[in-house]
Amino acid sequence: MLGIFDGIRDITALSTMIRLLMAVLLGGLIGLERSYKNRPAGFRTHILVCIGASIASMTGIYLYLNMELPTDISRLGTQVVSGLGFIGGGTIIVINNRKIKGLTTAAGLWTCGIIGLAVGAGFYEGAILTTGLVLLAETAFSYLGSKITHNEAFKILLEYNDKNALNYVMRYCKNNRMAISNLEVTSMRDSAISVYSVILTVRPRDKVDKAKVISYINDIDGVISVESLK
Amino acid sequence: MQEIWNYLKDFNFASVVVRLLLAMISGGLIGYGREKKERNAGLRTYMLISIGAALTLLISFYENEMLTGAWASVTEKLGMKFDASRFAAQVLAGIGFLAAGTIVASAHQQVSGLTSAIGLFAAAVLGIASGAAFYECVIPAIVIIIFSMEVLQPLEVLYKRRLRNITITVKYINPTDVDMIKRTIEDQGAQLFDIDPEEVDEDNYPSAIFSMKMSKEKSSHSEMLSSIAELPCVLSLHELIS
Repeated sequence: MLGIFDGIRDITALSTMIRLLMAVLLGGLIGLERSYKNRPAGFRTHILVCIGASIASMTGIYLYLNMELPTDISRLGTQVVSGLGFIGGGTIIVINNRKIKGLTTAAGLWTCGIIGLAVGAGFYEGAILTTGLVLLAETAFSYLGSKITHNEAFKILLEYNDKNALNYVMRYCKNNRMAISNLEVTSMRDSAISVYSVILTVRPRDKVDKAKVISYINDIDGVISVESLK
Repeated sequence: MQEIWNYLKDFNFASVVVRLLLAMISGGLIGYGREKKERNAGLRTYMLISIGAALTLLISFYENEMLTGAWASVTEKLGMKFDASRFAAQVLAGIGFLAAGTIVASAHQQVSGLTSAIGLFAAAVLGIASGAAFYECVIPAIVIIIFSMEVLQPLEVLYKRRLRNITITVKYINPTDVDMIKRTIEDQGAQLFDIDPEEVDEDNYPSAIFSMKMSKEKSSHSEMLSSIAELPCVLSLHELIS
């Protein structure tokens, strides 16, 4: 390991101060990026998590090294790992039945806590390197992630009066590697001729041109109208 | 070559860098496939968790180094009371909680997010193995995990198709209409497994979940759905695809 940190690897008043300040710095760096994106857990939350974790890990070492109590130095720190898992789980919220939000915040908070543990243990190299990698993941790979093409599911509203039309549409989707993940049929009965309307949720397996799909479906016999829903 | 390999297995600055980077890459590779599917957990999430998991084990390595090196006098006096796998063990519990948050039980008896949750767990475990410098496990494991998550999925879909089992939720006007729906399904040659009435919604129309196995010859998947949807008593129909 690097020699420059050798003087502050034991628990002394000086090294404790340095570790606490370093926890503030590293937690703050990660938190700054998060609060810049206006996420629920921002600057202060990350700093507090990082300080808390470093205190837990320092105390464990202090008990053994300075107080000379027969204990496992990592026992206090380890519980932070599962404890933060709980807290992180609480930041995840469910929206619209199937989608969730806040998972990256939870993962970031958890990783920030572990960086705090490393700082508290005096493992400065690991803490600083990891902070660098986390910031890299949050910035560069956040950009990369947004570049990855999503095969996003979309909904189409279809109105038809011929019973076979729906069959044709479904077969068309199947042949073009688009799975229909939800189907909602509602028929309108007030008119003399029965008109059916159906909302299809289509999940393409490859990239598709939405406009092309819709115009193809529009040309199927018996289809009255078709439009794409948000 | 062998020297570099052995050097990276030791605990030194270069190997710490390599272990953290390997963890990041393994998390990123799992995350890439998930991100592409626009699942709830993306590229960054998997990376963060892998890096964090790797760091826990590195802390253990560091503490062991100190206990046998600089702090050896205390260790001699009190005895070695140290468990190097304790940190990593808690990762499994912690990520278990966190991943549980991604599992969503939505309406109509559907559960989603399970594969994402297991993916997070896999990323954490790969991170631990990277942190342990267990390179000969991590590298094949990345390949196998990605193979299982990405290549086996279409196979599973194909297999499910062949089973010809479908589950639909039907909303109808009167509670007695169930008979009519049941008859329509059986007319199509399907074998009805289960009719599970749901709680009445705000709009006071009853609904039920029908699970069935369709016959091979008599009707196609879409014919079955449209024949039910076209019944006068049926208000709406949802197919549940797990």
